Amino acid sequence: MIPMSGTKTIIDYKGSVSHRTIERLLDKLRSAKEFQEMKKPTRKRLYSAFVESVDNIYKYAASRGKRSRLAKRESAVSVRKQDDQYMITAGNLILNDDVDELKFKLERVSQLDRENLKTLYEDIINREAGQEDQGAGLGLVTMALKTEHKIKYSFTPVDSTHSFFEIQIIING
Amino acid sequence: MEKLIIEPTLNSPRVILDPEKKIFEFSGESRPENVKNFFMPVLEWLEDFSDELSEQDSTNGKFPLEFHFNFEYFNSTSAKFILDIFKTLSKLNSRGKEVEVKWHYEEDDEDMLEVGKEMSRMARLPFDYVKIQN
Repeated sequence: MIPMSGTKTIIDYKGSVSHRTIERLLDKLRSAKEFQEMKKPTRKRLYSAFVESVDNIYKYAASRGKRSRLAKRESAVSVRKQDDQYMITAGNLILNDDVDELKFKLERVSQLDRENLKTLYEDIINREAGQEDQGAGLGLVTMALKTEHKIKYSFTPVDSTHSFFEIQIIING
Repeated sequence: MEKLIIEPTLNSPRVILDPEKKIFEFSGESRPENVKNFFMPVLEWLEDFSDELSEQDSTNGKFPLEFHFNFEYFNSTSAKFILDIFKTLSKLNSRGKEVEVKWHYEEDDEDMLEVGKEMSRMARLPFDYVKIQN
Protein backbone atom coordinates (compact mmCIF):
# COMPACT_ATOMS: atom_id res chain seq x y z
CA MET A 1 0.00 0.00 0.00
CA ILE A 2 1.27 3.40 -0.95
CA PRO A 3 0.28 6.06 1.56
CA MET A 4 -2.07 8.71 0.19
CA SER A 5 0.02 11.42 1.78
CA GLY A 6 2.64 10.86 -0.94
CA THR A 7 0.13 11.76 -3.65
CA LYS A 8 -0.23 15.28 -4.91
CA THR A 9 -3.01 16.19 -7.29
CA ILE A 10 -1.94 18.60 -10.01
CA ILE A 11 -5.02 18.39 -12.20
CA ASP A 12 -8.36 16.85 -11.47
CA TYR A 13 -10.97 17.77 -14.05
CA LYS A 14 -14.38 16.38 -14.85
CA GLY A 15 -16.65 17.78 -17.52
CA SER A 16 -16.73 18.60 -21.18
CA VAL A 17 -13.52 18.84 -23.13
CA SER A 18 -13.36 21.62 -25.72
CA HIS A 19 -10.31 23.33 -27.19
CA ARG A 20 -10.74 26.02 -24.61
CA THR A 21 -10.71 23.41 -21.85
CA ILE A 22 -7.51 21.93 -23.25
CA GLU A 23 -5.83 25.35 -23.14
CA ARG A 24 -7.00 25.89 -19.57
CA LEU A 25 -5.77 22.49 -18.43
CA LEU A 26 -2.40 22.98 -20.11
CA ASP A 27 -2.12 26.36 -18.47
CA LYS A 28 -2.80 24.78 -15.13
CA LEU A 29 -0.23 22.08 -15.76
CA ARG A 30 2.44 24.56 -16.86
CA SER A 31 1.91 26.77 -13.84
CA ALA A 32 1.99 23.94 -11.28
CA LYS A 33 4.99 24.10 -8.97
CA GLU A 34 5.65 20.37 -9.40
CA PHE A 35 5.73 20.76 -13.17
CA GLN A 36 8.11 23.70 -13.10
CA GLU A 37 10.45 21.85 -10.76
CA MET A 38 10.73 18.85 -13.07
CA LYS A 39 13.82 18.30 -15.17
CA LYS A 40 13.21 19.56 -18.66
CA PRO A 41 13.26 16.23 -20.57
CA THR A 42 10.78 14.66 -18.14
CA ARG A 43 8.65 17.77 -18.16
CA LYS A 44 8.43 17.65 -21.94
CA ARG A 45 7.54 13.97 -21.87
CA LEU A 46 4.76 14.59 -19.38
CA TYR A 47 3.53 17.52 -21.44
CA SER A 48 3.50 15.45 -24.61
CA ALA A 49 1.73 12.47 -23.02
CA PHE A 50 -0.82 14.84 -21.50
CA VAL A 51 -1.55 16.63 -24.79
CA GLU A 52 -1.93 13.33 -26.65
CA SER A 53 -4.27 11.83 -24.05
CA VAL A 54 -6.48 14.91 -23.91
CA ASP A 55 -6.43 15.22 -27.73
CA ASN A 56 -7.57 11.62 -27.82
CA ILE A 57 -10.65 12.45 -25.74
CA TYR A 58 -11.37 15.46 -27.91
CA LYS A 59 -11.05 13.53 -31.15
CA TYR A 60 -13.36 10.80 -30.05
CA ALA A 61 -15.95 13.19 -28.72
CA ALA A 62 -15.64 15.67 -31.56
CA SER A 63 -16.12 13.26 -34.41
CA ARG A 64 -19.37 11.86 -33.18
CA GLY A 65 -22.16 14.19 -34.23
CA LYS A 66 -25.11 14.38 -31.89
CA ARG A 67 -23.78 11.84 -29.48
CA SER A 68 -20.70 13.95 -28.90
CA ARG A 69 -22.60 16.15 -26.49
CA LEU A 70 -22.98 13.26 -24.12
CA ALA A 71 -19.42 12.09 -24.68
CA LYS A 72 -17.98 15.54 -24.07
CA ARG A 73 -19.85 15.96 -20.85
CA GLU A 74 -18.56 12.78 -19.36
CA SER A 75 -14.81 13.25 -19.66
CA ALA A 76 -12.33 13.07 -16.79
CA VAL A 77 -8.68 14.13 -16.82
CA SER A 78 -6.18 14.04 -14.00
CA VAL A 79 -2.48 14.38 -13.32
CA ARG A 80 -1.12 13.16 -10.03
CA LYS A 81 2.35 12.99 -8.60
CA GLN A 82 3.16 10.02 -6.46
CA ASP A 83 6.69 9.94 -5.11
CA ASP A 84 8.82 10.31 -8.23
CA GLN A 85 6.16 9.33 -10.71
CA TYR A 86 3.56 11.32 -12.56
CA MET A 87 0.34 9.60 -13.46
CA ILE A 88 -1.95 10.88 -16.19
CA THR A 89 -5.45 9.48 -16.46
CA ALA A 90 -7.89 10.42 -19.17
CA GLY A 91 -11.32 8.93 -19.51
CA ASN A 92 -14.32 9.49 -21.70
CA LEU A 93 -17.44 7.91 -23.03
CA ILE A 94 -17.00 6.27 -26.39
CA LEU A 95 -19.34 4.38 -28.65
CA ASN A 96 -19.39 0.63 -28.20
CA ASP A 97 -18.83 0.43 -31.95
CA ASP A 98 -15.39 1.97 -31.43
CA VAL A 99 -14.29 -0.30 -28.59
CA ASP A 100 -12.80 -3.07 -30.75
CA GLU A 101 -10.73 -0.73 -32.88
CA LEU A 102 -9.36 1.17 -29.92
CA LYS A 103 -8.66 -2.05 -28.04
CA PHE A 104 -6.80 -3.40 -31.05
CA LYS A 105 -4.63 -0.28 -31.26
CA LEU A 106 -3.88 -0.31 -27.53
CA GLU A 107 -3.04 -4.02 -27.48
CA ARG A 108 -0.77 -3.59 -30.49
CA VAL A 109 1.08 -0.73 -28.80
CA SER A 110 1.38 -2.50 -25.45
CA GLN A 111 3.03 -5.55 -26.98
CA LEU A 112 5.83 -3.67 -28.69
CA ASP A 113 9.27 -2.76 -27.40
CA ARG A 114 10.81 0.62 -28.18
CA GLU A 115 12.37 -0.36 -31.49
CA ASN A 116 9.16 -1.88 -32.77
CA LEU A 117 7.18 1.13 -31.55
CA LYS A 118 9.42 3.32 -33.66
CA THR A 119 8.83 1.10 -36.68
CA LEU A 120 5.08 1.32 -36.12
CA TYR A 121 5.38 5.11 -35.72
CA GLU A 122 7.13 5.29 -39.06
CA ASP A 123 4.55 3.07 -40.69
CA ILE A 124 1.62 5.18 -39.46
CA ILE A 125 3.17 8.58 -40.08
CA ASN A 126 3.97 7.67 -43.68
CA ARG A 127 0.68 6.00 -44.35
CA GLU A 128 -1.49 8.76 -43.01
CA ALA A 129 0.68 11.78 -43.70
CA GLY A 130 -1.37 14.73 -44.81
CA GLN A 131 -4.57 13.43 -43.27
CA GLU A 132 -6.23 13.97 -39.95
CA ASP A 133 -5.46 11.22 -37.48
CA GLN A 134 -8.96 10.60 -36.17
CA GLY A 135 -8.10 7.07 -35.16
CA ALA A 136 -5.46 8.32 -32.72
CA GLY A 137 -3.05 5.61 -33.85
CA LEU A 138 -0.05 7.92 -33.96
CA GLY A 139 -1.07 9.58 -30.71
CA LEU A 140 -1.09 6.26 -28.88
CA VAL A 141 2.31 5.30 -30.26
CA THR A 142 3.66 8.72 -29.25
CA MET A 143 2.33 8.20 -25.71
CA ALA A 144 3.92 4.76 -25.55
CA LEU A 145 7.27 6.22 -26.64
CA LYS A 146 7.14 8.79 -23.83
CA THR A 147 6.70 6.30 -21.02
CA GLU A 148 8.89 3.55 -19.62
CA HIS A 149 5.80 1.80 -18.32
CA LYS A 150 3.00 -0.06 -20.03
CA ILE A 151 -0.04 2.04 -20.87
CA LYS A 152 -2.96 0.87 -18.76
CA TYR A 153 -6.48 1.04 -20.11
CA SER A 154 -9.97 -0.15 -19.39
CA PHE A 155 -13.37 -0.24 -21.05
CA THR A 156 -16.42 -0.20 -18.81
CA PRO A 157 -19.82 -0.80 -20.45
CA VAL A 158 -22.27 2.01 -19.60
CA ASP A 159 -25.33 1.24 -21.70
CA SER A 160 -26.23 -0.41 -24.99
CA THR A 161 -24.36 2.22 -27.03
CA HIS A 162 -21.64 3.59 -24.74
CA SER A 163 -18.61 2.47 -22.80
CA PHE A 164 -16.36 4.46 -20.50
CA PHE A 165 -12.82 4.32 -21.77
CA GLU A 166 -9.93 5.16 -19.48
CA ILE A 167 -6.24 5.36 -20.19
CA GLN A 168 -3.42 5.72 -17.68
CA ILE A 169 0.16 6.74 -18.43
CA ILE A 170 3.00 6.94 -15.95
CA ILE A 171 5.98 9.19 -16.52
CA ASN A 172 9.05 8.77 -14.34
CA GLY A 173 10.13 12.00 -12.68
CA MET B 1 6.89 34.78 -54.83
CA GLU B 2 4.96 36.49 -52.05
CA LYS B 3 6.24 35.78 -48.57
CA LEU B 4 4.15 33.81 -46.07
CA ILE B 5 4.24 34.96 -42.46
CA ILE B 6 2.12 33.36 -39.74
CA GLU B 7 2.26 34.86 -36.27
CA PRO B 8 2.41 32.38 -33.40
CA THR B 9 -0.45 31.67 -31.01
CA LEU B 10 -0.55 29.62 -27.81
CA ASN B 11 -0.98 26.45 -29.83
CA SER B 12 0.44 27.20 -33.26
CA PRO B 13 3.98 28.00 -34.38
CA ARG B 14 5.52 31.05 -35.99
CA VAL B 15 6.13 30.54 -39.68
CA ILE B 16 8.35 32.78 -41.75
CA LEU B 17 8.77 31.94 -45.42
CA ASP B 18 10.40 34.97 -46.96
CA PRO B 19 12.34 34.31 -50.19
CA GLU B 20 13.35 37.95 -50.60
CA LYS B 21 15.12 38.06 -47.23
CA LYS B 22 16.09 34.39 -47.48
CA ILE B 23 14.50 33.63 -44.12
CA PHE B 24 12.72 30.31 -43.75
CA GLU B 25 11.81 29.47 -40.21
CA PHE B 26 9.39 27.48 -38.05
CA SER B 27 9.40 27.99 -34.30
CA GLY B 28 7.37 27.53 -31.13
CA GLU B 29 4.67 25.10 -30.21
CA SER B 30 2.52 23.19 -32.68
CA ARG B 31 -0.77 21.67 -31.66
CA PRO B 32 -3.27 23.79 -33.62
CA GLU B 33 -6.99 23.18 -33.20
CA ASN B 34 -7.27 22.22 -36.83
CA VAL B 35 -3.89 20.93 -37.86
CA LYS B 36 -4.83 20.43 -41.47
CA ASN B 37 -6.16 23.98 -41.87
CA PHE B 38 -2.98 25.30 -40.35
CA PHE B 39 -0.48 23.32 -42.40
CA MET B 40 -2.16 23.06 -45.81
CA PRO B 41 -1.43 26.69 -46.80
CA VAL B 42 2.18 26.18 -45.69
CA LEU B 43 2.54 23.03 -47.78
CA GLU B 44 0.88 24.66 -50.76
CA TRP B 45 3.19 27.65 -50.47
CA LEU B 46 6.21 25.34 -50.42
CA GLU B 47 4.96 23.43 -53.47
CA ASP B 48 4.51 26.68 -55.41
CA PHE B 49 7.88 27.94 -54.27
CA SER B 50 9.39 24.65 -55.30
CA ASP B 51 7.88 24.87 -58.78
CA GLU B 52 9.09 28.41 -59.16
CA LEU B 53 12.62 27.50 -58.10
CA SER B 54 12.75 24.53 -60.41
CA GLU B 55 12.48 26.84 -63.38
CA GLN B 56 15.40 28.92 -62.20
CA ASP B 57 19.13 28.58 -62.57
CA SER B 58 20.78 26.98 -59.50
CA THR B 59 23.97 28.90 -59.90
CA ASN B 60 22.66 32.38 -59.18
CA GLY B 61 23.88 32.55 -55.58
CA LYS B 62 20.49 31.87 -54.05
CA PHE B 63 21.43 28.41 -52.84
CA PRO B 64 21.68 26.68 -50.48
CA LEU B 65 18.44 27.75 -48.84
CA GLU B 66 18.58 27.50 -45.06
CA PHE B 67 15.41 26.25 -43.38
CA HIS B 68 15.35 26.58 -39.60
CA PHE B 69 13.16 24.35 -37.46
CA ASN B 70 13.10 25.45 -33.87
CA PHE B 71 10.12 23.71 -32.32
CA GLU B 72 9.57 23.77 -28.59
CA TYR B 73 6.93 21.09 -28.94
CA PHE B 74 4.67 19.53 -31.57
CA ASN B 75 1.91 16.97 -31.19
CA SER B 76 1.55 13.75 -33.14
CA THR B 77 -0.94 15.18 -35.63
CA SER B 78 1.42 18.05 -36.45
CA ALA B 79 4.28 15.56 -36.87
CA LYS B 80 2.68 14.16 -40.01
CA PHE B 81 2.49 17.55 -41.64
CA ILE B 82 6.00 18.48 -40.55
CA LEU B 83 7.21 15.30 -42.25
CA ASP B 84 5.31 16.40 -45.36
CA ILE B 85 7.23 19.69 -45.26
CA PHE B 86 10.50 17.74 -45.24
CA LYS B 87 9.33 15.52 -48.08
CA THR B 88 8.63 18.64 -50.13
CA LEU B 89 12.06 20.06 -49.29
CA SER B 90 13.64 16.72 -50.10
CA LYS B 91 12.15 16.80 -53.61
CA LEU B 92 13.56 20.27 -54.10
CA ASN B 93 16.94 19.06 -52.92
CA SER B 94 16.94 16.12 -55.30
CA ARG B 95 16.17 18.47 -58.18
CA GLY B 96 19.47 20.16 -57.46
CA LYS B 97 18.07 23.14 -55.54
CA GLU B 98 20.15 22.75 -52.45
CA VAL B 99 18.30 22.94 -49.14
CA GLU B 100 19.94 23.00 -45.73
CA VAL B 101 17.79 22.03 -42.77
CA LYS B 102 18.85 23.34 -39.37
CA TRP B 103 17.09 21.34 -36.68
CA HIS B 104 17.35 23.18 -33.36
CA TYR B 105 16.98 21.34 -30.07
CA GLU B 106 17.66 22.20 -26.46
CA GLU B 107 20.78 20.52 -25.15
CA ASP B 108 18.99 18.14 -22.79
CA ASP B 109 16.05 17.44 -25.10
CA GLU B 110 17.08 14.07 -26.47
CA ASP B 111 13.54 13.35 -27.69
CA MET B 112 13.58 16.39 -29.97
CA LEU B 113 16.99 15.39 -31.34
CA GLU B 114 15.79 11.84 -31.91
CA VAL B 115 12.61 12.85 -33.71
CA GLY B 116 14.71 15.14 -35.92
CA LYS B 117 16.91 12.21 -36.87
CA GLU B 118 13.85 10.10 -37.65
CA MET B 119 12.34 12.84 -39.81
CA SER B 120 15.61 13.29 -41.68
CA ARG B 121 15.86 9.58 -42.39
CA MET B 122 12.22 9.23 -43.43
CA ALA B 123 12.34 12.25 -45.75
CA ARG B 124 15.78 11.29 -47.09
CA LEU B 125 17.03 14.78 -46.39
CA PRO B 126 20.18 15.54 -44.40
CA PHE B 127 19.75 17.77 -41.31
CA ASP B 128 22.20 19.88 -39.39
CA TYR B 129 21.53 19.55 -35.67
CA VAL B 130 21.92 22.77 -33.75
CA LYS B 131 22.17 22.48 -29.99
CA ILE B 132 20.62 25.32 -28.00
CA GLN B 133 22.53 25.90 -24.77
CA ASN B 134 20.23 26.33 -21.81
